[in-house]
Amino acid sequence: MSLPTDSARLEIVHVTGFNYEGFADSSYNEVRMSPITLARQNVLDASIHVRPNAVQSTYRDYFGTIVTTFDLHEPHTRLEVTAKATVTTVLEPVNGESVPLSSLQLPLAIDKFTEYLVATPRTTMSNAVLEDLRTLVPKTDDVAEIVSVVQAWVRERVSYVRGSTHVSSTAQEVWEQREGVCQDMTHVTISLLRSLGIPARYVSGYLHSNFEAGLGETVVGESHAWVEFFCGSWVGIDPTNGSDIGLHHVTVAKGREYGDVPPLKGIYHGGPSSALGVVVEITRTA
Amino acid sequence: MSRGMLSRLAEALYWIGRYVERADDTARIVDAYIHRIAEDPFGDPDAACRSLFAILGTKIDPDTPVSRENVLSELVYDQTNPSAITGALLAAHENARRAREVISSEMWVCLNSTRNDLGAQRSEATRVGSASYMKFIRERSALFAGLTDATISHDEAWQYLILGRSLERIDMTARLLESRLLAAEHSPDWLTLLRAAGAMESYLRASSSGSDPAAIVTFLLLDRTFPRSAFHSLNVADRCLEELTVAGSRSDTVNQARRTIGFARTRLEYSDPRSVLSELQDLLDFLEQTCATANNEITAHYFRQVVAVPWESEQGT
Amino acid sequence: MPRPVYKEIVDILVNFNAVDLRSRFDQLGRTFAERGVTFALGGEERPFPLDLIPRIITAVEWGELAAGIRQRVLALEAFLDDVYSHGKCLDDHIVPRSLVTSSPHFRREAMGIDSDNASRITVSGIDIIRDEEGKFRVLEDNVRIPSGVSYVIENRRAMTQSFGTLFSHHRVHPVDEYPARLLAALRRSAPEGVRDPTIVVLTPGVHNSAYFEHVLLARLMGVELVEGSDLLVLGNNVLMRTTHGERPVHVIYRRVDDEWLDPLHFRPDSILGVAGLVNAARAKTVTIANAIGNGVADDKLLYTYVPDLIRYYLNEEPLLHNVESFRLEDPDSLHEVIEHLEKYVVKPVDGSGGKGIVIGPQADEATLTAMRKTLLHDPRGFIAQRTVALSTVPTFVNNHLAPRHVDLRPFAINDGKDVWVLPGGLTRVALPEGALVVNSSQGGGSKDTWVLADESEIAREAEVMRTNAARLLSPPVNGAFRQYGPDPDSSGDQ
Repeated sequence: MSLPTDSARLEIVHVTGFNYEGFADSSYNEVRMSPITLARQNVLDASIHVRPNAVQSTYRDYFGTIVTTFDLHEPHTRLEVTAKATVTTVLEPVNGESVPLSSLQLPLAIDKFTEYLVATPRTTMSNAVLEDLRTLVPKTDDVAEIVSVVQAWVRERVSYVRGSTHVSSTAQEVWEQREGVCQDMTHVTISLLRSLGIPARYVSGYLHSNFEAGLGETVVGESHAWVEFFCGSWVGIDPTNGSDIGLHHVTVAKGREYGDVPPLKGIYHGGPSSALGVVVEITRTA
Repeated sequence: MSRGMLSRLAEALYWIGRYVERADDTARIVDAYIHRIAEDPFGDPDAACRSLFAILGTKIDPDTPVSRENVLSELVYDQTNPSAITGALLAAHENARRAREVISSEMWVCLNSTRNDLGAQRSEATRVGSASYMKFIRERSALFAGLTDATISHDEAWQYLILGRSLERIDMTARLLESRLLAAEHSPDWLTLLRAAGAMESYLRASSSGSDPAAIVTFLLLDRTFPRSAFHSLNVADRCLEELTVAGSRSDTVNQARRTIGFARTRLEYSDPRSVLSELQDLLDFLEQTCATANNEITAHYFRQVVAVPWESEQGT
Repeated sequence: MPRPVYKEIVDILVNFNAVDLRSRFDQLGRTFAERGVTFALGGEERPFPLDLIPRIITAVEWGELAAGIRQRVLALEAFLDDVYSHGKCLDDHIVPRSLVTSSPHFRREAMGIDSDNASRITVSGIDIIRDEEGKFRVLEDNVRIPSGVSYVIENRRAMTQSFGTLFSHHRVHPVDEYPARLLAALRRSAPEGVRDPTIVVLTPGVHNSAYFEHVLLARLMGVELVEGSDLLVLGNNVLMRTTHGERPVHVIYRRVDDEWLDPLHFRPDSILGVAGLVNAARAKTVTIANAIGNGVADDKLLYTYVPDLIRYYLNEEPLLHNVESFRLEDPDSLHEVIEHLEKYVVKPVDGSGGKGIVIGPQADEATLTAMRKTLLHDPRGFIAQRTVALSTVPTFVNNHLAPRHVDLRPFAINDGKDVWVLPGGLTRVALPEGALVVNSSQGGGSKDTWVLADESEIAREAEVMRTNAARLLSPPVNGAFRQYGPDPDSSGDQ
């Protein structure tokens, strides 16, 4: 039985958190793990569960991300946050004409997209690399063509390898190491695109990467990151897999870089914390 | 009935009360000891000094010899140990700086100028002897006590000051008496201790028993009206706690400290003066325990955790 | 030549003999030291030198100045509201978007934080100078945590105690209404539905150079002075730790900068702030005054756009002009300024306390060369202004009168309905001869600032005082009338 190709319904369970040596007696936390409703996806249901139990509050932040906050004041040795969501995705319709690169370089455009054109802590790249990029890139006004050249270059230079980078690695560091995970590939791609005057942003979300799985089959998924660039509208590409964004991508949050959209961040008083093993399970149900 | 004040300020006031009293009483005890050591040609200064350290609860290395110099440097002039006279005054000053808005400006000026004079007083003491330094401390403590009495309203802030002072007084009186038990042959005699407690004249007026140890102990522990008697101080502490209790609180939230103090007061009230000497060690242990327990209960009930501790960050994927 | 308003003052002072004058001057300094009216300079507490001769502003001049300040505050208020919600002024290209988004004081955490009752700029200090033609101009806006009002209050108190005779020839607007006005504004700003709001002043603590001011304002308003560790946020509710348990707090007049205010959102190593405070403000359970993120309106580059903001939001022409300024991101301006650096004052966009300012005509060649390099490297980080011959006021220096440059910081309180400007403000005087930088951290002093009342104002004032005298006889409410009662701190010394 073949799966529908124009839409999908996915159920996601994402568990994360911290272990504490000894106890944590007090903590304040923010969770950014709830998918948002967009043209390409509709959120049917989403919830956050916290153990130990805590009163939750939500708000939408500057970037439109759904943020859930909670605080704990009793001693605990472990904090576990589980996000559950059911989402339907559709293939994004092509949205109007693409604009030429030269129009993105006009002052009005630069002003409008300024936040997505400037370097940020994790999206810094040395001038040497940017010089190399400039010689590599074709002299064309076609943004999509440029993006595809950049993407290919990144895939050639950086391999997907876990464990060699960390959560604050900068694009330059990743480029030098030639290794990284999806977060890193995304930062690298964003840095390069921005330096060419193409507005680019960071998208966090989930990927159901097992296309063989049937309906109802739960697979190990992953927290994922990819790029959106602007060429008349915002278009998504997946630099890690070298693909477009499809039915199996679920969007959670968008920002300038990882620092704007961390899934779970907080402060606490107590013994040193270490991350709980993260578990992401995705089931396609339609 | 009180309205409630910032825990941080209440705690600072409580400790000002404790530290100033501690400086005063410690000066009295150390003075009495140092005189004793100086006057006794046959005594064992090392043992005498050790017993002093023990009474004041300060650890000392069992193997190194201990002399009057150690007493002076560690129990009198040390600036960082809050159980040393100078350390206690500096701690009081530090707390006063933080609570400046709730004490009178005269009280502040008293502690501040005392702190500023410490260096000069110490130099003076090297010339003319440590007794001058001790006298300075006692006089300044007395001045502070007088200003506490007369220059701020006897409101909630004042209650914490007096509560701290009373608890410390009970504790120090117990330690003073303990010196006779620990190493009687090395400690000052009963009359000297009476004098150190500022109790000589009051005792002589109240009692016809001369230097009978039982009578002296009874006086210092049980007298109703002498300010440094343990019983009197327990009464004062009890009254403070009563004033500080929130109006209309349910009995299950009655703070434990009142119970602890009340219990100690009752025990002393019904002590038989005739058997006081024989159960003295017991009583003194009980009193010291009472102070420690009450301190913890007061802290837990009124002050809670107000320490500014930096947070750790954490991030999860 | 001192302006005519100073004639009477000078006449009186000339009649004091030098020794008497000196001794009153010393007494002033002693009074200040005893009351703790100091500021911290290099870790040491110094009295803030008060000059005997007040700075005098006529009623007419003040009327114009106050109207200009009110207008400016309203425009900045509208700008902040806009920038933390729809951003219309950015879409309409009144201000470049990058100016806002690249400002370190633009706090994205403040997006969506809105209060029903509060303004964002509860307290502002708009720094004013007078130019060669005697016109008032705005030197700089301060809408985050402007300080100095305690000196205004203390200077007036000291002057009336030591030099009461000077006041006999002039009717001067009092300044003691400030704490009551601030308290009223804070009460108004409380979250909706709270009938008797608990207001606190949040201070970084005894080590802060303006600590004295925090203490004074808390005392005069009759509210608690707290530090970060005294407060606790539980599920978006802000509580104060007292001996009677945790009490809710509704309004925080915070003297702690955004950066240190909430370790969850800003610097995580801050022990001066309160974890969870920003989210509580967003949940509208507490009002933070001044609001988070005001610094984007203080930015010295934005300063150059304020006249445009006044036109855009208020449809009015600015009543007060800026000092002529140049944006160095503009290549032509950059070129002109670098070529003639010795004629300009260059200011870092993100400075405070006068640090980093280079005054062209007074700088040596090495400083100018270094600044040229810096400007080429980071033009957006600076603006340039033509040097203005700041007005001077007669000042008592070394036992004689001499002209010294002054500026003025009037304070305004915006309670959401009205902007009230404190009559006068802090006049800062540069004490070294010829010096132009007046900040306390760099050798400045202050003067009592007198705004003269005109005839009709005098009559109105008398009426107000009669009414208030009647109120004195009825029970005081929340210390709001404290200033009309006997001064509890008066030691009786003269």
